[in-house]
Formats: sequence, structure tokens, C-alpha cells
Amino acid sequence: MSSALKWPAAAILAVAGFFAPVLLGGSPAVYAALVLIAIFAVMSYGLDSIVSDLGEVSLAHTVFFALGAYVTALLSVRLEFNPLGTLAGTIVAALIAAGLLGLITLRLREFVFSLVTYAVAVVALTVASNWEFIGGSDGLRGIPAFEIGWLGFRAVGDVELWPVAFLLLLATLYLMRAFRRSRLGQAAIMVHLNPRLATMSGIDPQRTRVQVFLFSAPITAAAGWLYAYQRAYVSADLLETYFLILMLTAVVVIGRRLLLGPLIGVALILAQEKFWSFGGYVDRIILGSLLILVLAYLPGGLFGLVQTLAEARRRVAARSRSTSPHTTARKADA
Amino acid sequence: MSNQPLITRRTALLGAAAGVLASRTAFAQATSGPIRVGVIMPLSGGAGPQGQHVTQAIQSMAALINAKGGVMGRQIEILARDDESVPAVGVSRANELISAGVSVIIEGWNSPVTLAMQPVINRAGILDITAISKADPILSGEGNKLAIRLNSSNAQDGAVVANYIANIAKAKRVAFLTQNDAYGNGAQASIEAELKKLNYDYQKVSEEKFPFTQADFRVALTNVRGAKPDVTIAINANEGLGMPALIRQASQSRLPGQLVAAVGTIAPSVIKIAGDASEGLIGADIYFPDVEPFASNPRNKEFVAKTEEMFKYTPDKFMALGAGALEAWAQAADEVKSLDKEPVANRIRGGKFANTIFGEMQFEPNGQLKSQHYLFTVKSQKLVVDTAKG
Repeated sequence: MSSALKWPAAAILAVAGFFAPVLLGGSPAVYAALVLIAIFAVMSYGLDSIVSDLGEVSLAHTVFFALGAYVTALLSVRLEFNPLGTLAGTIVAALIAAGLLGLITLRLREFVFSLVTYAVAVVALTVASNWEFIGGSDGLRGIPAFEIGWLGFRAVGDVELWPVAFLLLLATLYLMRAFRRSRLGQAAIMVHLNPRLATMSGIDPQRTRVQVFLFSAPITAAAGWLYAYQRAYVSADLLETYFLILMLTAVVVIGRRLLLGPLIGVALILAQEKFWSFGGYVDRIILGSLLILVLAYLPGGLFGLVQTLAEARRRVAARSRSTSPHTTARKADA
Repeated sequence: MSNQPLITRRTALLGAAAGVLASRTAFAQATSGPIRVGVIMPLSGGAGPQGQHVTQAIQSMAALINAKGGVMGRQIEILARDDESVPAVGVSRANELISAGVSVIIEGWNSPVTLAMQPVINRAGILDITAISKADPILSGEGNKLAIRLNSSNAQDGAVVANYIANIAKAKRVAFLTQNDAYGNGAQASIEAELKKLNYDYQKVSEEKFPFTQADFRVALTNVRGAKPDVTIAINANEGLGMPALIRQASQSRLPGQLVAAVGTIAPSVIKIAGDASEGLIGADIYFPDVEPFASNPRNKEFVAKTEEMFKYTPDKFMALGAGALEAWAQAADEVKSLDKEPVANRIRGGKFANTIFGEMQFEPNGQLKSQHYLFTVKSQKLVVDTAKG
């Protein structure tokens, strides 16, 4: 598609996306499902930049998600901040946490990096479950409805929250696209694929890693921000494996570095959970197995598999054309 | 309904408006035909078997109510959903049921799941009755100002266990094996608070905490064993997996002193899985199908017979609580001639209901059902009620 047509096409897609709940029947259940898909997709995009671009598997992104939710709960319940104030607080807290984590993991690679980030998630879960200041095991309750007084906007349920979730998703998609086209995004890929070449090209890999973390964490934390309003209750369960497996699977299942990959991945997972659920244990086995399958055998995800199959089909078709008697006969005629 | 969704911005977006219209349509559909009752329990995973039993008990109570004409002349239809013991999944299921136009949701096995669902159900203006979950904040009014709960509260349970420790076992060295969440920590805090109220002089010799999903307690039990307790209090709501495993491993590790299960955590299914290891286990509960005053209660006999007929299973306390929740709601809705949240909740909170499976059910003004506790000992894999405790 030419670049002149790209923006109108994107605008049409965005408008269609906004009216997706209406096109799907407009019931509150549809709104609830789409709000969740938008929130969890945003949560996954934060991780996507680490997994797909930096080439590391962070198991600590549930910490950023929970951090966004907890900061929102604390600021809205105890200090009566409005959603814009809690969003600002969320972003600041996420940047601080990401800076710290980025510095701790500066020199770590691959499985050691993953192990350390896992340890961070375990520590965070223990702290969240036991620290009374943030509600301990009871969590934080009484989060008010999403309300911006000067705009006259008040979202009591998912129907009213949809425009906010959709805007957050659009902003995230824009940021991810901009990131991948930016110098930082290019540097991240080079650090991922060839650290030596990156260094020789004047890129500081450690600085790049910290910068990517600083880009990634506020995105995942912003998802936690909106989730706190959507659920009106925040507790340590946000740090459980449910969210970690959800975002990891969503990032890899369709294919890495695909702009719509995590969004489609989350939609598929939630659709399976909603319409074809086999119960908690079996669903987790399915998700876990899918994750193993994709990581071990389908590095390009389902999109890569489709591409490979299509390519193989094209080759077979071309070969059969070149060897078929009809073609041979025509060649002979010629 | 008092909590109708609203958009105050004049320039409300078309999509949102269409959604509001759709939600009103769904509500309109719910005012004719059968009355939809939502049930959200864990139907899979560690607490799955117990959640299934509670759902079955609600279905058998619905059959009894329907056989007598239903509620306000309409039949009851049960819509059951699996929360998978995951708060996020519970919230999704609650949204599904709200969308399906249910008039009431009976929920709650795990406290964290209940606490997550409460605000969502409350904002939708649907009556929410918690059957089992015990955490104290459920009745705090923060998630739902019109909360109702049937299972005994942590405070009520704490008093019973504290009384056992101080006055019956006279134990001086007390250990805790506690599920590390809203329910477990609240239960332990209640027992300790009640012991303090009794001015009882004891020593907490060990405290081990574990997540809801844990099934291997050998390291924790080794620590507890080393502390030589007179009594070990096991607080574990994972009746399908964690509690039977804990009982078996406690027996294998030759834990000294008396093992006491927190109130309401020992269903017959737990004893079935734990087997001989449960011999001598002490517990307490608020309902036994075949012990007085329940055994001779005609309504309870009817409920037990119906459940056995439909599901080939004798109801336990959890099942009775689920069925009792539906029974109280049905009586209240019939009396106030409304399915709306507020009048029905106000009839239940602080109200009394005669001729129920619990005999007379009485709710406190904060929505908590008043309960009578009975201590029991497990003998030959049966619950043998020892002494009545108020």
C-alpha cells in the first residue's frame, strides 16, 4: 500500500474498531469483553517491546501492570486524584521501577535475565500480599468510577469505559509503531540481533536496554491504571501467573514484531477462555502448551507458520507447473 | 434500578449510547419468562468439586422452589459460571451474567474472587449474595453497600476455635498453618483476637503461610513439627487439593499435638480424599444434614432428599449455604414483590426467614447470617459432632 493511502486506511480501521462493540451486537457483555481485550493488549504491548525488539523474556512485567493498578488505587482512594492524576502517578512510578530494574539487569542476558526478572515478580507478589499499607492480602477497595469532572465524563460501567480503553489502545499502537521506526527501536533490534555490530556502530547496548525498559514499563503500567478503574478492586492476584502467561502468549502466538500481533493474540486467548473454556486447569495447560509450542517450534508464530505454508504451496505449485506434461509438451511445441 | 449506567457528557458517543440501549433491552427481556439466577463458583481446579456441589445444591433448591410455583409466579432458571478461583476470570463471568439479565448472583468460594466481583456486580445494580467466602472486607460496604453473606464470619469462627484452644484443649503452644490471602490471614487474626479477648496466656510457636494453590506442605510441616506445638491450626480453603494434602502430610510427618481445621474447611469430600489420615481431626461447622436440629427439620429433609435424588450426593455445609442463599432470596423477592436489588436486599439484611433448611434464618443488619457452631471430631471418616457451641 502506498504511504498516501496508509493513513486513510488506518483512520478507517480505527473508526471501525471504535464501533466494533456496536457491530458485534452492542450488548454489555460485548463491551466488557472488548474493554478487557483492549486493556490486556496494552499490557502485552509493553512486554512486546522487550521480547520482540530487545530479544529478552521479562517475567517482571506483571510487576509494572500491578504497579499501575496499585498506584491508581492508592492515589484515587486515599488522595482523591482524578484519572489523569492517577495516570501521571502511574507513569512516574513505572519509570522509576523500570529504571531500577533496567539497572539491575543491565549486564544480564537470556535465561539469567529471565530468572532475575522472575525473582523480582516473586518478591513483588510476597510484598503485595503482606504489606498492610497497600492492603496486604485484602487488597485495596473502593476505587471510584472513572470520572473527569471538567469534561463531564463519568464511566460507571464498561459501556462508558470503552472510549477510554479504545483511546488507550490506539495511543499504544501509535507509540509501538513510532518506537519501531525510531532510532531507539532500530538500536534495540541491532542490540538484540548483533550486539558486537551494535557496539561497533556506536550504539551503547546497556543504555539501549535501559531506554527500552523505560519505554516499555509505562505502557504495561497504563494498562494496570485502566484495569484498576474497570475492576474497582486491586489485590496481589495481579501478580499471579494468570496475567504473565496471558501476556507472554499474546506476544508470541501470532508473531513477534507484528503491530497487531499482541492485540489479536489477546483476543484469541480471551475468546478461547470465554467460548471454549475447558476449566481453569485445562485452559492453563492449553495456554502453557501453546507457549512451549510457539517458542520451541514456531519462532515466527502463527503468522510465520501461515507464511511458511503459503510459500511452500507456491513452490509446490511452481514446481508442478514446470514439470507437468502439459507444460513439457508446450515447451516441446515451442 | 438505582445504579443505572449513565453518560453525563452531552456529546455521548454513538457506540456507548447503543450499548446503553442494548443493556436496557437485555433488562427488559429479563422481566418476562423465567427469572434468571446467576451462580459463580469455581467449577474447575482445586476447589472445582466443591464449587460443582454448591451449584448442584442451588439447582436442587431451585427445583424445590419451582415445584411450589417459583418466585412471583415465575420459574427460576440457574445460569452457572466457572470463576476458576481466579479473580480476573470471576470478574469476566460476572459481566457475562449481568449481560444475560440475571436478577441476583449467588457467588463466592474464594474471598479474593468475591472481593474482585463485588464492585462490578454492585455497579450493575444486581443483588449479590456471597455464599461461602469469608474475608471480613466482604461486609465492609466498600465493594457493595448491600452485601449479604451466609457463611459464618471469620470473627464468629475465631471465637469457636479460640474457645477450643483455651477451654477444651487448654493448649499453651499454638502453631498456625495459614493460607496467605484475605481469607486465611483474616481467619488467623480473628482466632488471635479472640484468644486475646479471653486473656488466655499462650505462645505462638510457629506460623507458616502458603498460597491457595499449594499442595506440598512438607517443609512447612517440618518447621511446625520442630516447634512442638500442642495444637496446630490449619487454615486452608482449598478443600479439593490443599486441605486433604495438608491433612495427609501432617499425618505422615507425625505432627505432635492436635491438628485443628479452621471452621468450615472440612467437607465430607475432604475426608474422603484425606482418608485414614483424617482420623482424630478436630473441626467445627454450622450445618450437618443428619444431626439435630437439622435432621428433623422438614424443609432440610426435603432438600437433602431432592439433592440425593438429582445428584446422588448428600449435601454438606457448603451446599446448604448455596441452597440457603437461593431460599432466602426467593422468600424475600416473593414478599416484597420485586426483583430489584434494594428492596430485596433490605428485606434480607436484618431480616428473619422461617421454614428454611437452617430452620429460622436470621441476618444481622450488615447482611451476615447468624450461625450456631458445632464442634466435631473425625472418627472412621465420619464427622462426629461433639458439643454444641453458640
